[in-house]
Amino acid sequence: MKDLYIMGIESSCDETSVSIVKNGTTEVATVISSQIDIHKSYGGVVPEIASREHVKNITIVLEECLEKAHMTMEEIDAIAVTYGPGLIGSLLIGLEAAKTLSFLYNKPLIPVHHIAGHIYANSLVKELAFPLLAVVVSGGHTELVVMRKHYDFRKIGGTLDDAIGECYDKVARVIGLEYPGGPKIDKLSSLGKKTYKLPIPLKDDSYNFSFSGLKSAVINLVHNEQQHNREINKEDLAASFQSVAIEEITTKVRKAITEQNIKNVLVAGGVAANNALRNALTSLANELNVNLSIPPLKYCTDNATMIAAAGFYAYKAGRIADLRLNSKSQDELK
Amino acid sequence: MKYLYIDTSSSYLYSAIADDSKLICEVKKDLGHTLSEEALPEIVEMFRKNNITPKEINKIIVVDGPGSFTGIRIGITIAKVYAWSLNIPITTISALEAMALSLNDKSYRVPVLDARRDYVFAAIYQDNMTEIMLPQHIKIVDLLHKIEQIEDFHIITNDTLEMFQNIKPYDPDLFKIISSSKTKQEINPHAVNPKYLKLTEAEEKNGH
Repeated sequence: MKDLYIMGIESSCDETSVSIVKNGTTEVATVISSQIDIHKSYGGVVPEIASREHVKNITIVLEECLEKAHMTMEEIDAIAVTYGPGLIGSLLIGLEAAKTLSFLYNKPLIPVHHIAGHIYANSLVKELAFPLLAVVVSGGHTELVVMRKHYDFRKIGGTLDDAIGECYDKVARVIGLEYPGGPKIDKLSSLGKKTYKLPIPLKDDSYNFSFSGLKSAVINLVHNEQQHNREINKEDLAASFQSVAIEEITTKVRKAITEQNIKNVLVAGGVAANNALRNALTSLANELNVNLSIPPLKYCTDNATMIAAAGFYAYKAGRIADLRLNSKSQDELK
Repeated sequence: MKYLYIDTSSSYLYSAIADDSKLICEVKKDLGHTLSEEALPEIVEMFRKNNITPKEINKIIVVDGPGSFTGIRIGITIAKVYAWSLNIPITTISALEAMALSLNDKSYRVPVLDARRDYVFAAIYQDNMTEIMLPQHIKIVDLLHKIEQIEDFHIITNDTLEMFQNIKPYDPDLFKIISSSKTKQEINPHAVNPKYLKLTEAEEKNGH
């Protein structure tokens, strides 16, 4: 079979990224231009600033990626792009770039859902095996997705309110950690003990999650302690919060593995970088005797490598768009 | 020589392909909220209908603002990716300059775009296109004060701005715009970026 080289373009939030992946599994070259330092002073991503940075960066990142791969646009077989979900103004830059290249070089245009990208980040490590349960955990998503074959997604549950990463960032802000605070909570909590009592979020029979109650409980606790002039033990609070947040995930993952007859579990999204979550899911997988795949850290955050990888399988599944493709700030994975 | 012009700075797509003697084809279409979807397909349609291939274009002229932030970025992204990937010379023109160029009257030309909250984007040109006031984000009262001092002028706008008189609607003369900007100095495509003429709200609050 002839090798297929897919170019991936990702600009859904604050990273402009372009990548070339061979056959959906082998990374040829990736370039990521992160804006994190620009948004830091605002305490979060400012959409209009993100869009302005993407338009400045897009051709530079494209050029660097081709140079790194020692390839030309003519050698690319298809162009995959994140069409959503994400920040609409940011998505548009990658989308217009991909559409333009598709026109200029007469290459197929492949629309990729951002979450499909996170799931297929795992295919850069080892080919996916089915049936699988994808645990999608990021700043914008907390979802359980069952796949019985390639590019066949069935969402069985998701967050009813905040995404887990969003909850981490908000809790981090309340205890005074600089944006992005999520990863800092993970670090702090390894130094602390579970001394603060926090409510277990959603004890029900669904595969859904809820994080806003937990977030409010932490905020109230911090305010209450401050009113009584009591010092917060940040390490202990981080440890207490993290243990509840992760238990919320593992409880529903356990239920899904057992009830859906799952043999393979993969973790996808930025929060897959969280050590406590990695450890908890590793022991759960051992206990239930299922295979667990967690992508290396570089594939956990937003990148175009995963978009190109997913793009390969989307292409195989015949998911080709015309030049009317538009970006969508929200869209179900299907 | 063939030139491609792209302006997506409003809800309208204004695009054309011209050679040195005439317009070959043009699109003037209000795409409303479908600009991101339809702009590129409309441009591609011009190429297809006239059997022109992307590589035949000798220079790209793109409007770099002011106007709708999202709109400007759509046109700029298409144009800079095009110019960079096929190594085609590219240059930019202000939306306000394009508006002024399209007027034929012997008078001062004051292109105006609504920027909301008592502000507009505006510039002032003489009839020979000498810039009297550079394109800028200006308070409406300040602009009114400036135009009080010039005798014979036309406001060029398609926006509803009732405080102005002597208004002429903007209908771009695409051949004239292309002819007058085709000799402008070419810019490295990486450096072709929107000129918003206005900071983001977050930057303003942060005191940048």
